[in-house]
Amino acid sequence: MLTDSEKKRYGRQILMEEIREGGQEKLKSACILVAGAGGIGSTVLNCLAAAGIGRIRILDCDTVEMSNLNRQILHWQKDIGRKKADSASEKLQALNPDIDVEVMHATISRDNILDLASGVDGVVDAMDNMPARYILNEAAVKMHIPFFHGAVHGFEGRAMTVLPGKTACLRCLYRGPVEREIFPVLGTAPAMIGAIQACEVIKYLVGAGRLLTDRMLTIDGLTMTASEFKIHRNPNCEHCASPR
Amino acid sequence: MSIDIAIHKTHRQFAGGAERVSVEGKTVGQCLDRLIQQYPQMKAILFDRKGRIKNTIEIYVNMESAYPDELKKPVKNGDVIHIALMLAGG
Ligand SMILES: [Zn+2]
Repeated sequence: MLTDSEKKRYGRQILMEEIREGGQEKLKSACILVAGAGGIGSTVLNCLAAAGIGRIRILDCDTVEMSNLNRQILHWQKDIGRKKADSASEKLQALNPDIDVEVMHATISRDNILDLASGVDGVVDAMDNMPARYILNEAAVKMHIPFFHGAVHGFEGRAMTVLPGKTACLRCLYRGPVEREIFPVLGTAPAMIGAIQACEVIKYLVGAGRLLTDRMLTIDGLTMTASEFKIHRNPNCEHCASPR
Repeated sequence: MSIDIAIHKTHRQFAGGAERVSVEGKTVGQCLDRLIQQYPQMKAILFDRKGRIKNTIEIYVNMESAYPDELKKPVKNGDVIHIALMLAGG
């Protein structure tokens, strides 16, 4: 049940036929893991907290650095040196004290991810490197938890939603390992992509619209064009192929 | 018989600045060979030392993933091949 204060806070989205009070209650009872509280994570977290996702789990092992501040809008000058998950949690609780925010300072590995993701209704991939993204993807597929991928580079970004067992996963396109890199990026790209992922999470939770499944949406801010590429499930995918 | 190859913007500097290059070929592999004949620098962009498509490169034909075995994928007049880049940043 929604409190009077929640009905007021979320009034504008409760007006939407896709949400109404029933949808808002679904958001309130949901738990979402946001892996990465960086550029993409900042926007995802802001959108989900403001929209009233009842429990948000923030997973990040990094500390805030000066070079993060051009895009990681949950972290401010005063936060340099603090754990990103703490800095993010503080802002989200100030924005919306009605939700629960859990903080996890862990480096994702295949050993800990099943624990870190246990009990969540969705995993948001807001990481900054492919190895960690694949660990998350594999765990989400194994645990049958919807997975919301987003990535950026420069002016450009892309997003895809994975419903394990039903739609193509991130690993379906895998060709081989990709090394970590220091990537160039303008803050507008993770803001756009993070908003798309948050929209996908909310649509999934309330059961509305058409998800970004089996299609990779790419947005190029430089030409301000969006393209949609069809992705197929790979029958030999290391993560999502059914065992023979 | 003409197939357009859409070049990712980070690669255009190696393809004379072109956004699209028209080539001829019956498969994706033949089309990429023609592209490389015209712009030899594209070889090191697309392929590793063993001649395999690099792990960060994605190939789409008519907006649809051509993975796996992209190079053998047949193409016909009017098809568009997109060379996209896997993004990893957050
Ligand atoms: Zn897969």
